[in-house]
Amino acid sequence: MTATQDVAVADQAAPEQRRQAMRVRKRDGDTEPVDVNKIVRAVERWVADLDEVDPLRVATRTISGLYDGASTAELDKLSIQTAAELIGEEPQYSRLAARLLAAYVDKEVRGQGVASFSQAIAYAHGLGLIGDATAAFVARNARKLDDAVDPDGDLRFEYFGLRTVTDRYLLRHPESRLVVETPQYWLLRVACGLSDTPGEAIGFYRLMSSLAYLPSSPTLFNSGTRHTQMSSCFLVDSPRDELDSIYERYHQVAKLSKFSGGIGISWSRVRGRGALIRGTNGRSNGIVPFLKTLDAGVAAVNQGGRRKGAACVYLEPWHPDIEEFLELRDNTGEESRRTHNLNLANWIPDEFMRRVEADEEWSLIDPSDAPELPDLFGEAFDEAYRAAEKKAVRRVRARDLYGRMMRTLAQTGNGWMTFKDAANRLSNQTGAPGNTIHLSNLCTEILEVNDDTETAVCNLGSINLAAHVTTSGVDWEKLRATVRTAVVFLDRVIDINYYPSAQAAASNPRWRPVGLGLMGLQDAFFTLRLPFDSAGARELSTRVQEEIFLTALETSAGLAERFGPHPAYAETRAAKGDLHPDLWGVTPAQTERWAALRSAVAAHGLRNSLLVAIAPTATIASIAGCYECIEPQVSNLFKRETMSGEFLQVNTYLVRELKARGLWTPAVREQIKRAEGSVQGITDLPADVRELFRTAWELPQRALIDLAAARAPFVDQSQSLNLFLAAPTIGKLSSMYLYAWKSGLKTTYYLRSRPATRIQQATVAPVISPVVAASDAAALACSLENPDSCEACQ
Amino acid sequence: MTTVPEPRTGERHMLLDPGMDLTLRPMRYPHFFDRFKDAIRNTWTVEEVDLHSDLPDLARLSPAERHLVSRLVAFFATGDTIVANNLVLNLYQHVNSPEGRLYLSRQLFEEAVHVQFYLNLLDTYVPDERERFEAFAAVENIPSIARKAEFCFKWIDSIFALRELRTREDRRAFLLNLICFAACIEGLFFYGAFAYVYFLRSRGVLHGLASGTNWVFRDESMHMAFAFDVVDTVRAEEPDLFDAEMERQVRDMLAEAVECEVQFAADLLEQGVSGLSLADMREYLQHVADRRLAVLGIAPMYGSRNPFAFMELQDVQELSNFFERRVSAYQVGVTGTVSFDDDF
Repeated sequence: MTATQDVAVADQAAPEQRRQAMRVRKRDGDTEPVDVNKIVRAVERWVADLDEVDPLRVATRTISGLYDGASTAELDKLSIQTAAELIGEEPQYSRLAARLLAAYVDKEVRGQGVASFSQAIAYAHGLGLIGDATAAFVARNARKLDDAVDPDGDLRFEYFGLRTVTDRYLLRHPESRLVVETPQYWLLRVACGLSDTPGEAIGFYRLMSSLAYLPSSPTLFNSGTRHTQMSSCFLVDSPRDELDSIYERYHQVAKLSKFSGGIGISWSRVRGRGALIRGTNGRSNGIVPFLKTLDAGVAAVNQGGRRKGAACVYLEPWHPDIEEFLELRDNTGEESRRTHNLNLANWIPDEFMRRVEADEEWSLIDPSDAPELPDLFGEAFDEAYRAAEKKAVRRVRARDLYGRMMRTLAQTGNGWMTFKDAANRLSNQTGAPGNTIHLSNLCTEILEVNDDTETAVCNLGSINLAAHVTTSGVDWEKLRATVRTAVVFLDRVIDINYYPSAQAAASNPRWRPVGLGLMGLQDAFFTLRLPFDSAGARELSTRVQEEIFLTALETSAGLAERFGPHPAYAETRAAKGDLHPDLWGVTPAQTERWAALRSAVAAHGLRNSLLVAIAPTATIASIAGCYECIEPQVSNLFKRETMSGEFLQVNTYLVRELKARGLWTPAVREQIKRAEGSVQGITDLPADVRELFRTAWELPQRALIDLAAARAPFVDQSQSLNLFLAAPTIGKLSSMYLYAWKSGLKTTYYLRSRPATRIQQATVAPVISPVVAASDAAALACSLENPDSCEACQ
Repeated sequence: MTTVPEPRTGERHMLLDPGMDLTLRPMRYPHFFDRFKDAIRNTWTVEEVDLHSDLPDLARLSPAERHLVSRLVAFFATGDTIVANNLVLNLYQHVNSPEGRLYLSRQLFEEAVHVQFYLNLLDTYVPDERERFEAFAAVENIPSIARKAEFCFKWIDSIFALRELRTREDRRAFLLNLICFAACIEGLFFYGAFAYVYFLRSRGVLHGLASGTNWVFRDESMHMAFAFDVVDTVRAEEPDLFDAEMERQVRDMLAEAVECEVQFAADLLEQGVSGLSLADMREYLQHVADRRLAVLGIAPMYGSRNPFAFMELQDVQELSNFFERRVSAYQVGVTGTVSFDDDF
């Protein structure tokens, strides 16, 4: 639609005299008439490089939504919203909306008398928001740091990202709730919180400001503040089988949750329903009532007002309460046995999967009868389990229990399948006897040893691969440079971090694990025109992962040379000369660099026991404006719901492709919308283009598993691997997860599926069905026998 | 009509023929049964909706927005009960198909869940007991809501006395009632209300209200689709019922419904809400009305466009981040048995 057409429509809705009568209230209280030209000029400031944006259109639409007597601040907000609403039609409006928002934020900060970065830090320090050390560091280096702020930094944001930053990441005045830092000040503040010299801070700031790398949310929230809890993940061992220990865990979980941590907690050591309690000679009510309490505790803790607490409970499938555990997220049944806030994961030994495959029986054993089971893996577990089967509470068909797990996945997306033996066998931390990984974390990408007195901790960050790829390929040197900076700053967090519990403080300095991840893999595939399930995609993803892991190890060996290996180094497999690819029996591609690394490790050890974990990156990918971690796109057109409201996202790679072919038309847009973001029905697009732009629902899931397995030798922790089935059945799921286990994956994450029916589309015109004449047998047969396809065309 | 098997009595009968048909096999209207099954897969419960973040949001709203919200929840407090009443009093007895009645039973359950949801919502939003009682009495106290209720009651009453649909006139009256509840009440009043909720959500507030409403909206879409399916079925069986006079009545009815909803909008937006002007709301309602006419094969009355980009968001897949809130996309009924060689 052209601008003039749109003005005509706006005029219909808001007659000319009405528009002239409209007035806005200025900040000083005076009113003035709304002036379309003034809004046009405000928009024009930002559109120099946005040739598809029509400032007049934004201005007229803004005025049409305005009411008489609105404030100028409302007018500004409305123009941002108006621009954002046009993103679905033309992705460039996303940049415009982001810039209007940046200008709005800038005005808000300056309105409080803040004109520079160092002033913002001093101001926020005075308000009690910034830590003393960071405030002093900034005051000492004010000029250098103020000069380092990139005035064009905000131009790189998409609207979705900047909106999230503004609503959730920027520090706010405790009373007025106005933001006290601009987006660039925020990133520089994060860098200063982790730096020893201004040069270091500026280098790290530039990397983040370019959106090539972002640390995880807790670091982005808290670095430089008075509460420097910057770790994302905590892995809490199961409470001991006694009341005091259980209540200690509630307390610990609450403290960890308060400071933005996501929590994994095992419950495998606690006795099941019906087990004897010697102290009172009563019978236990099992784990469900205790998990109900945990559920309420997690919901009660609000992570600094930013998001609700979140936790995932892990249980091994031999636990007698496993079936009730799998029902915890059902939406029917007794509410006192439902935990809507907890995520659930199965921590599965190979023995269980073998029995599923062989269709054998499976024994449920009470942990009070076999307390050693949670600490064993591999053959030692198999032996102990078989010996304990004599004391089984009950025996079930392994396949029935496996089928129940699949049903839970289909119905709730929860009940993640994670594999205990692969996790332990393929870990650097399990080199000494007695060190066991008991669970994964909230997002199934962290695998670290813990026990009753040590809570494993991990801080994360992710490389935006999209920022390291052009149509001619990956910029390997840039990628290596990013990894080096990232590892140094991830390692730095360990020393500066505030640990909310004594158990966490006991573990992290000993093992010094970090989790360097990856996002924007789908962007790289689009840029290089590689379909997600192609051999080329698999090679590239493996190659990238090897480069990241190898460079991370090199950097960690370098840190060990300067600062010494981490204290528990002697207990690791690396100390015996086994690096992660060796555990997989894989020969890496870059043999010479690996050889050099081996001698460096032999000489100096490693500063970090673990280096790579691929986290889901939900929020930071949106800030960086790329696709999440290693995931395929979910749709070419989708909305994202967050605490900051809803946003429409369009696949900009597709839009570029369609524009080049003259196909980015309202009709095609409507077609994509009607097909829920699929382009498979757009026959004007050549087959290879349609193949490239398939969605997660349209890809064979085997390919996702194959890609994950191929990169796994270069991921020493694990990957948050979501799987997608639009209409899951028990048969499909059981085949898929058996395949995932056989591929050697350590963990999987959500099963995503789609609702059985959907809301009638409100903005896509209905396809009018002709009135069926009674004599028209063919048409009648259609509506009687095939109601779904008739429904589908509405 | 070769695909419709002969009924048990040997006498061919039609959907609106009086009676209480009890036989599900052979099934005469399998599409009704499929809708019943689809609906079951979308089961949700009120406990799943998390209203925790709404309370601080309410405190942040401007007085104009708070006025909008309080009127809106007052409408919701009674809207679904009215629909449920009509279903029981007027629809169930006349749709003479056991599979159709299965769907209606399911719909009745869903309406009850909606009532419970909005009950829960009001109890949470309006802690003061006196204010709460006033909100529940909106049908009597608030003129803009009373006006809509009158419209509904008029159409409930129109066929309340009918025990059986013997004559052509009876059946036309029934169809008008059915169309009224599908096109005007669920299809326009509720769609209007949903627009306010989605407007608020697009501004980043009241997610609890929005996520519950999202599920209500999904159910209501199904109810409307079922009702239009019944209309189409009756129309195919008895084409002469739907004549020019009927078309005129439908248009008049929708025009009146649009006016009812516009006066409600004028009340809601009385104090000026930035981004939601009365002119745009009118345009939207007219656009929705035109779409209801289109489904019935009637030419549009208004030719209006949808002015609300935020409604476009409703048409697009959601991808919730589990940190943010619960995902509404999972299925309840899953079938099959364990096997290892299925395609995935």
